[in-house]
Amino acid sequence: MYRATLTSQPRAIRVSLMATALLLLALSTSGAAQKTALHLDGTPADPFLAASGKPVVLVFVRADCPISNRYAPLIQRISSQYAAKVTFWLVYPSRTASAGKIRQHEFQYGYKLPALRDPQHVLVAQAKVQVTPEAAVFDASRRLLYHGRIDNMYEDFGRARRAATTHELDDAIQAVLSGKTPPPNTPGVGCFISDLQ
Amino acid sequence: MTSSCRTVVACVLGFSYTAAALITGQNGAAVHPSAPVEHQITFNRDIAPILFHYCAACHHTGEAGPFPLLTYADAKARARQIAAVTSKRFMPPWLPAPQELKFADELRLSDGQIAVIQEWVEQGAVEGAPADLPPAPRFVPGWQLGRPDKIIEAEKPYTLSASGSDMYWNFIFRTPVDRARWLRAIEIRPGDKRVVHHANILVDREQSARRQESQPGAGFAGMELKIESETFDPDSHFLFWKPGTVPKPEPEGMSLRLDKNTDLVLNIHLQPSGKPDKIQPSLGLYFTDKPATLFPLLLQLENDRQLDIPPGEKHFVVTDEFTLPVDVDLLAIYPHAHYLGKDLLALATLPGGSAKTLIHIPQWDLNWQAVYRYAAPVPLPKRSTISMQYTYDNSSENLANPNDPPRRVVAGNRSSDEMAHLWLQVLPHAASDAAFDPRMLLQEAMARHNVEKNLADFEAHYNLAAMLQARGVLAEAIEHFELAVRLRPQDATANNALGAALLAAGRIPEAIPHLDAALRVQPDNFDAHYNLANALVSQGKFLQAIEHYRAAIRLRPDDANAEANLGGALAETGKLSEAKLHFERALRIDPNHKLARENLELISRDPKNFQE
Repeated sequence: MYRATLTSQPRAIRVSLMATALLLLALSTSGAAQKTALHLDGTPADPFLAASGKPVVLVFVRADCPISNRYAPLIQRISSQYAAKVTFWLVYPSRTASAGKIRQHEFQYGYKLPALRDPQHVLVAQAKVQVTPEAAVFDASRRLLYHGRIDNMYEDFGRARRAATTHELDDAIQAVLSGKTPPPNTPGVGCFISDLQ
Repeated sequence: MTSSCRTVVACVLGFSYTAAALITGQNGAAVHPSAPVEHQITFNRDIAPILFHYCAACHHTGEAGPFPLLTYADAKARARQIAAVTSKRFMPPWLPAPQELKFADELRLSDGQIAVIQEWVEQGAVEGAPADLPPAPRFVPGWQLGRPDKIIEAEKPYTLSASGSDMYWNFIFRTPVDRARWLRAIEIRPGDKRVVHHANILVDREQSARRQESQPGAGFAGMELKIESETFDPDSHFLFWKPGTVPKPEPEGMSLRLDKNTDLVLNIHLQPSGKPDKIQPSLGLYFTDKPATLFPLLLQLENDRQLDIPPGEKHFVVTDEFTLPVDVDLLAIYPHAHYLGKDLLALATLPGGSAKTLIHIPQWDLNWQAVYRYAAPVPLPKRSTISMQYTYDNSSENLANPNDPPRRVVAGNRSSDEMAHLWLQVLPHAASDAAFDPRMLLQEAMARHNVEKNLADFEAHYNLAAMLQARGVLAEAIEHFELAVRLRPQDATANNALGAALLAAGRIPEAIPHLDAALRVQPDNFDAHYNLANALVSQGKFLQAIEHYRAAIRLRPDDANAEANLGGALAETGKLSEAKLHFERALRIDPNHKLARENLELISRDPKNFQE
C-alpha cells in the first residue's frame, strides 16, 4: 500500500505534466487555426477587447514604406488628440518585422501609441485595408465605419499635394463620435499589403 | 444577434483570405493563382536584368531607395508595388520624353519592359531557373571614385524636422587649398540620401554667400541663390547630385580650377521623412596635375520677367531664344522651373532651318529635376538658335501648386515663386584665328541678348560692357557701364568699372568722380583705390595717389602692382629709399614684375639715391 502510493504519485505528476504540455500544444495549434494579431510580447491580441466600449482606430503602417513613414507625425498627432475617446492601435502587417524592429521604428518616428503585429493579416482582413498607410475606424460594437486613406495628400505615386485638402481619418473619427455619416471609403496611396504575403 | 452575425462575416472573410493565400502558395505575391502559362516570365531571366540595370543603383542598402532590389526575395516582397510604380512611370524616375538625341544613363523603361513586369506579377512572380540569373551589380560602399585627396565636411549638421513641406538648405564649405588647384572631380555625399532629393554645388569665388549665414558655418535656408563675381570667371561645370548618381570624373581636359579663398556652396533639396533627420554632407575633392585645356561654359536662357501667372491659368507660356555666335558642342542640359512648371521644351534650330529637340519634359516634376548629359556631344553650329518654351499650370488641378487656392505667381527665389530657366553646358570650338577666348563672345552675345530683353537689366549692361572692354571695344563698353551706373548709381562695382574704362580711354577727369563714388559707397574697395591712385598719378597728383595706393595695399598686402605703383609715385615725389623698399616688396611678391625691376634699376642709377 505504502509502496504503491509512492510509485503512483510520481507517475501521476508525470501524467499531469504531459497533459499540460498537450494543452499548450492544443492552444497554439488552435491559435494558428483561428489566427490572431499579436502584442509585441508575442501574446495574442484583440484590439477590440481592450477598447472597453470605445471606438477603435487601426492604422496600418510598415517600417520600410516611405509614404507611411511620412505620415508618422500626423498619425501620432491624431491619436493623441482623440486618446480620451478612441482606442488607437498601430498595426504592422509585416510577417517578418520582429518586435524589436517595431519598437525601434516606433521610437525613431516618435510613435507613442501601442503597436500590434498582424503577420497573418487578421486585422488587415477585418479592416479591409490594402496599403500602408491606411486606417480603419470601428464603432464601439466593432462595426467598420471607414477604411482607407488618412487624407488626400497623395493622389498617386509621385503626385503629392503640398498639404492635404480632405482629412478622411479625422472626419471618420468625428463621425463615429457624433453618430454622423462617415466619409466614403477611399483607397490610400502607399505600399501594397498583399506584397507581404 | 447582430454580434453573432458579424462573427460569421468575419469568419467568412477569414476563410476566403486563407483560401487565397493557399492558392497563391509559393508564389505568394500574385493576385491570381499561378497556373501553367504559355510564356512563363521569371525573375531570374526576365526581371533581374531590368532591376539590376534600372533600379539597383538606388535600391541597395545605404542608398536613396527605401528598400533593396537585388534578390528574388527583395523583388517578391514588393512585386505588386513594382508593377504599379513602373506602369505609372513613377519609377524609375526619368522625366524626358524619348527623342532622337540620346542622354547618357537614360533610366527610361520601354513599354515592353513595363509589360513584362506586369505579366511577371500576374503570373505569380515566379523565380525561375538559377542558371538564368545574371550576376547582381556590385556596389562599392563609401566614396565611389576611391579615397578623395581631401574630404571636407559641413561644419554643422542641419536638422530636418519630421514633417512639413520641402526644405532647401545651403551649406558653405570653406575650401582647404592654399593655392589654385585643379580638380578632376568633386564627389558629393549629401548625408542621409533618403531625405535628399537633389544637391547642387555653386562655386563662390568671392565668398559672397557667407553674408547670408547668421553665424559662420551655420548654413542658411533658400532655394535659389545668387553668387556674385566681379571677375570674368564664368561657371563652366554642372556639379549636381541626384539619387542614384554614380559620380564621374570631369572629361579629359576639363578639370576644374579651385582657387584659395573660394567657397563651395552646396544647395540641397530635402523632403521630411516622418522623423527628424540630421544632414551633414561632405565633399570629396580629387586633385589632378593636369590644368584644363578645354573650357566649357554654362549658358542660361531665361525669361523670368514674363512670369506673371494669373490664378487658375492652366496654360501660361514663357519663351526665350538665343542665337549662338560661335560653333559649340552641347554637352549637358538642365531645365529648371518650380512647382507650377508643367511642360518644358527646348529646341535647337540649325542655320539650315531644321529643328532638333534638345529636351522635352511633358510632365515636369521638381522633385526629380536633374542635369541631363548627352550620350555624345551635340554639335551646334554658329547661328543655331536655341529656344525654350515652358508651360505653367497655376490652377488647383496642379497638385503641386504651392498655393491653395491658387494666387498670382511671379518670378522669385522662394519655392512658392516661379522660375523659367534653361542651362546648357557648351564647349565652344576654338577658332584658329580668334585672338581671344570664344567664351567671351558667347558671354557678350548672351549679355547683349539680355539687354535687348530688358533694357533695365543692370547685370546685362554690366556684363556686356565688361566683355566689350575685354575685347577692346572701349567706347561701347563705356556706354553700357554708364547705363549700368544710371540704373544703380550707388553700385560701387559698376562705378569702379566705369571709372576704370574711362581711365583706359584717357578720360581722366570723367573717371575720377566715379572712382570717388565707388569709394564713398565702399571705402574698402581695393580696385577703386588702386584705379583712383592711377588716375591721380596721370594728373600728377602724386601725394593724393600715394594715399590711395597705401589704402589699396592695406586691403591687399600681396598685390605686386600696387606695391610697384606706390614705389613709382614715391619716387616721383623724391622719396627714393622708401620707393626702393616698395619696388623690392613688389619683386618679393612677383619676382618677374617687369616694371618693379626696371624702376628699381632706374632708382639705383639715380645719383639722388646716394644723397639720402
